[in-house]
Amino acid sequence: MGCIVQKCQKPQRDLNELKGELELDDHKISLEELCQRYDTDLENGLKADAVATNRAKYGPNALTPPPRTPEWVKLLLNLFGGFAGLLWVGGILCFIAYGVEIASKGNQAENDNLWLGIVLVVVVCLSGIFSYFQEAKSNSIMESFKNLVPQFATAIRDGETVTVHAEELTLGDVVLVKFGDRVPADIRVLEASQFKVDNSSLTGESEPQSRGPEMTHENPLETKNLAFFSTNAVEGTCKGVVVRIGDNTVMGRIAGLASGLTTGQTPIGAEIERFIHIITGVAVFLGVTFGILALALGYVWIDAVVFVIGIIVANVPEGLLATVTVALSLTAKRMAQKNCLVKNLEAVETLGSTSTICSDKTGTLTQNRMTVAHMWYNLKVVEADTTENQSGAAYDVTNEGFKALCRCATLCSRAEFKGGQESIPILQREVNGDASEAALLKCMEIVTHDIKGIRANNKKVCEVPFNSTNKYQVSIHELENDNRNLLVMKGAAERILDRCSTIFVDGSEKNMDAAMKSAFEKAYMDLGGLGERVLGFCDMVLPADKYPKGYKFNNEDVNFPITGLRFVGLMSMIDPPRAAVPDAVSKCRSAGIKVIMVTGDHPITAKAIARNVGIISPENSTVEEIAERTGLPVEQVDPAEAKAAVIHGGQLKDMSPDDIDIILNTHSEIVFARTSPQQKLIIVEGCQRNGAIVAVTGDGVNDSPALKKADIGVAMGIAGSDVSKQAADMILLDDNFASIVVGVEEGRLIFDNLKKSIAYTLTSNIPEISPFLMFIVASIPLPLGTITILCIDLGTDMIPAISLAYERPESDIMKRKPRNSKRDKLVNERLISMAYGQIGMMQAVAGFFSYFVIMAENGFLPKNLFGIREDWDNKVKSVQDHWGQEWTFKQRKHLEYACQTAFFVAIVVVQWADLIISKTRKNSIFQQGMTNWTLNFGLVFETCLAAFLCYTPYINAGLKMIPLMSQWWFLAIPFSLFIWVYDETRRLLLRSYPPGGWVEQETYY
Amino acid sequence: MVDPKSKKYSSPSKSANNGFKEFLYNTKDGTVMGRTGSSWGKIILFYIIFYAGLASFFCLNFYIFYLTLNMDEPKFQLDESLIGTNPGLGFRPMPDPDRSPDSTLIWFRRNVPSDYLFWSKQLEVFVDETDTGKKDAGSVNLQACTLDNDKRATSITACQVKVDNLEYCNKNNAFGFSRGEPCILIKLNKIYGWVPEPYGFDERDRFSEAQLRDDLDKEIREKHMPVDLKYHILNETRGLDPNTKNFDSHRRMLLSTVWINCDGENVADTENIGQINYYPFRGIAGYYFPFLKQQGYQSPFILVELKNPMPGVVINVECKAFARNVKPDRLARLATTHFEILID
Repeated sequence: MGCIVQKCQKPQRDLNELKGELELDDHKISLEELCQRYDTDLENGLKADAVATNRAKYGPNALTPPPRTPEWVKLLLNLFGGFAGLLWVGGILCFIAYGVEIASKGNQAENDNLWLGIVLVVVVCLSGIFSYFQEAKSNSIMESFKNLVPQFATAIRDGETVTVHAEELTLGDVVLVKFGDRVPADIRVLEASQFKVDNSSLTGESEPQSRGPEMTHENPLETKNLAFFSTNAVEGTCKGVVVRIGDNTVMGRIAGLASGLTTGQTPIGAEIERFIHIITGVAVFLGVTFGILALALGYVWIDAVVFVIGIIVANVPEGLLATVTVALSLTAKRMAQKNCLVKNLEAVETLGSTSTICSDKTGTLTQNRMTVAHMWYNLKVVEADTTENQSGAAYDVTNEGFKALCRCATLCSRAEFKGGQESIPILQREVNGDASEAALLKCMEIVTHDIKGIRANNKKVCEVPFNSTNKYQVSIHELENDNRNLLVMKGAAERILDRCSTIFVDGSEKNMDAAMKSAFEKAYMDLGGLGERVLGFCDMVLPADKYPKGYKFNNEDVNFPITGLRFVGLMSMIDPPRAAVPDAVSKCRSAGIKVIMVTGDHPITAKAIARNVGIISPENSTVEEIAERTGLPVEQVDPAEAKAAVIHGGQLKDMSPDDIDIILNTHSEIVFARTSPQQKLIIVEGCQRNGAIVAVTGDGVNDSPALKKADIGVAMGIAGSDVSKQAADMILLDDNFASIVVGVEEGRLIFDNLKKSIAYTLTSNIPEISPFLMFIVASIPLPLGTITILCIDLGTDMIPAISLAYERPESDIMKRKPRNSKRDKLVNERLISMAYGQIGMMQAVAGFFSYFVIMAENGFLPKNLFGIREDWDNKVKSVQDHWGQEWTFKQRKHLEYACQTAFFVAIVVVQWADLIISKTRKNSIFQQGMTNWTLNFGLVFETCLAAFLCYTPYINAGLKMIPLMSQWWFLAIPFSLFIWVYDETRRLLLRSYPPGGWVEQETYY
Repeated sequence: MVDPKSKKYSSPSKSANNGFKEFLYNTKDGTVMGRTGSSWGKIILFYIIFYAGLASFFCLNFYIFYLTLNMDEPKFQLDESLIGTNPGLGFRPMPDPDRSPDSTLIWFRRNVPSDYLFWSKQLEVFVDETDTGKKDAGSVNLQACTLDNDKRATSITACQVKVDNLEYCNKNNAFGFSRGEPCILIKLNKIYGWVPEPYGFDERDRFSEAQLRDDLDKEIREKHMPVDLKYHILNETRGLDPNTKNFDSHRRMLLSTVWINCDGENVADTENIGQINYYPFRGIAGYYFPFLKQQGYQSPFILVELKNPMPGVVINVECKAFARNVKPDRLARLATTHFEILID
């Protein structure tokens, strides 16, 4: 497991400073002041000597790569981490024992210790290299930032235009940027012509932003006179002064934040580390105790060393970490098929322990597509279809009122579909034009199926485009089959209302009286309250006498009426939630996972979507809503009463960490609106401070710090930027929140199954350790050899242990609370008590039964065996059995190996039962069934492998195994059955007594 | 919007954790190592019952198995058994196992009784025990078998091991140790039911001299039987008087001998070892077999006298046993034994 040892990187800069909001005033000051500050000239640029001094002073315009752990250090960490240390000790002890034997006996020395030492070293190296390669796909966040760095820049220096490496730019440089370039540094715009930049990687705004010399906002990210490092210029040209370079740029700060953040250990990593500590502790304790005991019993120290080796090898589940890795990667594969691509293996489980999900709104919870949600005509609100697959509400398209609205919306729009998309469903087609117009276009296309034709038949003769002063758009069309012209207008609802004197209701035009106006007001408020963007539509058929066809309409100097129009209706738009999301959110809720929405969007829209998808449940209300209902001022409402809360980014700015803790603890349903990327990070940290395991979704570069900081960062596969994908642990290939829930389910399942797998593997430790203890304490011939132990740990136990990863859940795992990382451990005392104290002991007894039976059948009754060791292991003496036969050393060893093989086979046989009982922690096997075919294969496999090892010539000789008589395979069967019956009974008691009973307290792991 | 600074928000209580000391003994809950007294009591009681039950289950199973076991006769014999059909060969006296467990060095100084008595006493005890064993068992089960008297080991009777014809190797001269001409006792390990197969008999169990020669030559080829042993066997066979009435059984018994040959392990050892004499003769007679756990059964042995070994050097001695179904195997140490002699 690669991530067990996490080295903290020393952050190069104070992270808290990075987390703060950007402080910049270069856009506010006058140009003179700016020139003075950077000692530059706006016409001629920097002087050569100023360039040199500034470069020396501020360094290159490049991002500092984070310090990296060298590859060989990583390899070494893997070779010596985990159980490796213990196995190295065992291996080295082997070589020492061999060396001593060589020194004392010369050529006659046995090679056993040498071989064992080599085997141990090979095992350690292989598993170390295995985990190294698992880890090798480590993050390379900084590298992806490097790709964003522009290569060359055009600067004016000493009055001359020169092309320099972007890296050589320095503060005060005057640079020229044209479309297609990347902005080479953070610059203040001096002159611009049609200059537009794509800030999406930085702020998430998907529309290109125009840039010009005027300061439009206090906030540097929103003002128009700043262009940022590594954003793309998509249109026009500009000239600007460099005000920030390298790591100090906005992008550099994010990069520094993302790579400087130390990611904590994954929950499963922590669990595995704890487990390794327990096992290592037990191994060292037993090894030392019995080493000392052996010395006290009068064994020579070299024998004591051999005992210690045996105890270490028996205690360490050599194959377990590989099993865990394989189990995790199997789950990762399964999740990839369900659109969750897991980058870091251990993150597979993290999702299962997640207790809080901080989700983006746009694209994750919603479809990321403005869609017409409601229409208001004939004084009625009509719901439009917002589903992704057009399965939603249908409405009457033949209604006169709708037809008027439809005509207006169809004509009064500049948006059109991009070419060549006829085969694509309407909603997924790409559109030229802004989001609202695209929404109208699609909505109308669905109704009319032929917008192009309608527009062609009603030729546009004049148009006044939308601008921010008018807030409306007007166009005039030649009516089809008519000699009149039609004026259509759309825009901000209230502005449109102001221009209307009549309203079209139920096929007739009525006066816009107070009743009509109040109906409009109500509809407008209702739709606005749903977080929807409301547009008003009105039209007027221009009288043919005054405005005949061919009349020269002038859009500069308006020569047609734009008041006294006929109001036809409202259309409201929203980015609707994805279909699967409400269900997924409710699944999360029943699984005890808190879903927090973090969005840059407006609070009202955010709240509406939150309500829509169930992040704020219908029965809960916010403080404001309570205040509104009860008529109390907001300050007097007890926040504890309000389970839901909508927090504005502006408020968050002024909060201390304690305040955030209080917010997070008081409210169970929280929406953060208008948040900046830095604040996202603060929210994540707040949740983590409260002990939550946090999953965060994000797509922009600006999200990468939060993604990195989260226990599991989830990037979006479609909308996500490369940087966010690098920083994340998991990528949602379909950008769908619902896929996270699938991941949670898989994560929880693998945690349960790993538990089972570990319980299964640990159990066989007892029958592996006890032979050594008996050997030392009772002085019987060794019942199980060290090599044989390795055959179990790395051979017969492997496939069955892995197969438990395929076990299906016992109950609905999405109905219980997320695991408490402080209480619900992977390996707890109940698991140890079951595996070591009960099932393991039964297995050991089964092994010893086989051993004693074979010994007795060959003339060595148990009573003769105790204390026989010294004679038994004497290479010269013959030992007499019960019938008076005299056994030479080799003959005795032959018998001993037969017993060891039988012990080995006995372990395999009792592991059958152990595997079957490990399938379930609570249910009966009759409920669970034997449909896990991998596991069934595992049963067959371990048996065949055992037979292969003991019957194949040469291989059995190398492993010191003896072809067993067939009846010796059955010796452990009664014990196997006993184990199964015992555990079935235990689980029956577990199920039949109410929760909290003694059996559950002591044995439910 | 929400103002967390308003007093209405209650701060979450933070619980303290006192760590290990509290784990050992928590005064508040009265728990020792995380459990209360009754909790400890219950779990301990459970484990006592559990292990008692487990032990009973083991005993029950073992008892059932035990009923199937015949105490008089091994369950697996000869080819079925793990001990096999190639018996081990042993020597006496042996070095002190407490001092050097795996040593086979017989090292003593001539004329120093404290040295050589350690070795000769072992032989004395061994031979005396065989002698008294004969008296204890009485005449019921032990017979005085010879090659020509047709008395053989049966399922109830066994043959006496005679200790009166060991000639020079006797306790009165400390088995030669005092003079640096030690006698080493060589014995064959007992295997239940095992009998040596004689040389010289064909598939139809008919003797012919040609077959004997063939057999012996084959032994020389395949088991490295020394050539002089071949001539020794041939001579012994020829020396029998064909006119005696039980000539056939006599010859068969002679050829059923497990022949013993001792020699230096390497060329140098062979030079140093000197002359070797075997008492009572150069093999273990066939009538001692089979061993069937007869009452008072005595392990047959011979004594090998090293007549004039080179003093002051370590001599590696290897003794091997030969019969049709005995194959000396140095690696497995079957039908062969190895020791070193160092006489100062």
